[in-house]
Amino acid sequence: MDARDSRIGLGELAVAEPSRLAFEGVTKRFGDVVAVDDLTLEVEPGESLVLLGPSGCGKSTALRIMAGLETPTAGVVRIGDRVVNDVDPKDRDVAMVFQSYALYPHLNVRRNIEFPLRSRHVPADERDRLVATTAQSLGLETLLDRKPAQLSGGQRQRVALARAIVRHPRAFLMDEPLSNLDARLRTEMRAELAELHLRLGVTVLYVTHDQVEAMTMGQRIAILRDGALQQVDAPRTVHDRPANAFVAGFIGSPPMNILAGRVDTTDGTAEVVVDGGSIPLGPAAAAALRQRGLPDVTVGVRPEHLRADPAGTLKVTVALAEYLGHEQHLGCRLPGGGLLTVRLPGTRSALGPGDAVTLAVEGDPHLFDPVDGNRIDV
Amino acid sequence: MSDAGLAPGAAALGEVAAGAARDAPNGRRRLGRTGREAAVGYLFVLPAMAIFAVFVFYPLLRTFWLGFFRVAPYPTIPSKFVGLSQYKSVLTSHDFWASLGRTVEFVILTVPIGILLGVGLATLADARIRGIRFFRTLYSSTVATSVAVASVIFFTLLNPTVGLFSYWLGIEGGNGILQSNTWALPAVATVTVWQNIGFTFILMSAALQAIPQDLLEAARIDGAGGRRRFWRVTLPLLSPTVFFAGVVGIIASFQAFGQIDLLTQGGPDNHTMVLIYYLYTSFQNNDFGTASVLATALFFILLAVTLVQFRFIERRVFYG
Repeated sequence: MDARDSRIGLGELAVAEPSRLAFEGVTKRFGDVVAVDDLTLEVEPGESLVLLGPSGCGKSTALRIMAGLETPTAGVVRIGDRVVNDVDPKDRDVAMVFQSYALYPHLNVRRNIEFPLRSRHVPADERDRLVATTAQSLGLETLLDRKPAQLSGGQRQRVALARAIVRHPRAFLMDEPLSNLDARLRTEMRAELAELHLRLGVTVLYVTHDQVEAMTMGQRIAILRDGALQQVDAPRTVHDRPANAFVAGFIGSPPMNILAGRVDTTDGTAEVVVDGGSIPLGPAAAAALRQRGLPDVTVGVRPEHLRADPAGTLKVTVALAEYLGHEQHLGCRLPGGGLLTVRLPGTRSALGPGDAVTLAVEGDPHLFDPVDGNRIDV
Repeated sequence: MSDAGLAPGAAALGEVAAGAARDAPNGRRRLGRTGREAAVGYLFVLPAMAIFAVFVFYPLLRTFWLGFFRVAPYPTIPSKFVGLSQYKSVLTSHDFWASLGRTVEFVILTVPIGILLGVGLATLADARIRGIRFFRTLYSSTVATSVAVASVIFFTLLNPTVGLFSYWLGIEGGNGILQSNTWALPAVATVTVWQNIGFTFILMSAALQAIPQDLLEAARIDGAGGRRRFWRVTLPLLSPTVFFAGVVGIIASFQAFGQIDLLTQGGPDNHTMVLIYYLYTSFQNNDFGTASVLATALFFILLAVTLVQFRFIERRVFYG
């Protein structure tokens, strides 16, 4: 409440009662293709939850099911306590922001923002007041008479948001709303969206394939793959304790190094042998693997957890070096042929292609079952 | 001459020309790049202009010129130059104004209904239901029908003794529809609408499919029902196509000839004597002078109508 009231004129923009959104065992098939596979997921009232996954993972379909633009093949969809499976989109009282913004090109900004109000027969004076307040809070006052074609990408995005906010919906559905913006604008709008959510305290279901967007926009992130839910957790948990190798490889930039390995406990210390090198294990990890009793394991090491250290256990040759200004990424070849990405802060290291380096791993590596990919808890 | 003010693309394009200019003697350099580019442009347009000149511009001017000559009723007597007097007599005659009136009536009977039906059928056929392809093919099929075929089909259907329409309307054996002063023009208009429906349907279907699905979905979520979506989103986005169909339809209706020639020959009692058919009759009667005046008049009327459409109606049209 404090966040809402601290800003002038924004109190009345806030939704009175943000709603809970729920998928209960929702499946959607298009012919033989299963787009969404038995999805059970809840978005708490006022929460911002991000659906994240690669293209074709079913995240947009899930969002469209919530909006009512698709009908689930099986399962129950709820908004608040109401089952909405058979409710028309226009009666669901949710707002959606599309990747294309979907602004009505023949209407000026004012009429675009008004559209949902006119659809609901809001009286003219009330309408004018709402449009004015919304336009002001998004900095659109001076653009009200322009057509969408006369606006920049960022401005269009704001109009699309204004159209969603103006009618105080029970929840916001956002389908890759930032994908059409250039990199700089995207960063700006990302911050604005996050702030808007904080300010309005509304329920947001946000779809993206961009993990940076997901990490910054979501209070929780739900990762989908082939229509199936992989993990739902806070960004930090998803990053630090990925539920399986897929999530581990999908979250983080550059992606986590994932290698097939074999547990070796012959000389008293436990280590995982990989591709002509080895990664030492702490006592807890060693115990967990010993208890499991199988020698094969998949190990994951984040690029930032590798550092050059003469006392290390991985002897590699630098194959390529990328300088990004604030950090550098090295692609390093293991004796067995595998490639390891190393992320070094700063740009002072003079390592280049052909140089031999010894790498050490900081802390325990992530361990996954080589068959089902699930995390082996330590 | 400097490249500084030019767009990079244009500058790159002009580099070759600029190189040539440097080598050329002083006099040619002054002609400049713009002049040379324009010359190349005209060269590209030349073939089209040549064809237009022979088949359009020359006949047009020649027709206008022929209007100054009164043609004698006997082929042996030469035409006589009468200046503007023939223009004056034809354009103030009752026959001209009567035929213009019929033409306007015909346009009003064909164009709006044709567009309404086209939009309606296209909207229906846009539905995603089983077997809709069959209807799409059916609705667009008249595009593959010639005016002559359409006329013959309707001529049979409207025949007072054996026609199905006459039977359905309970007037078989009596006066035929095409022989009725009241119904002949609407009947010819109906044939025209029927024949054009395929074209209008295809136009409108293409335009409907070009409307981004996102917009209609956004409108659904914004609380708009089917009717509001159609009036507030679909129709405004169809407006350029509707405008185009209107302009093309009016021109086509002004020039509709085949169906009138095959069905009524301007009858009964001149009740389907539209401008173009009046022109044709004059031409048949070897009255080339009158025919030329009418042709010129038709040209200027169409020009005026089209200009008015662009000037006033186009303002209400939204181009994406």
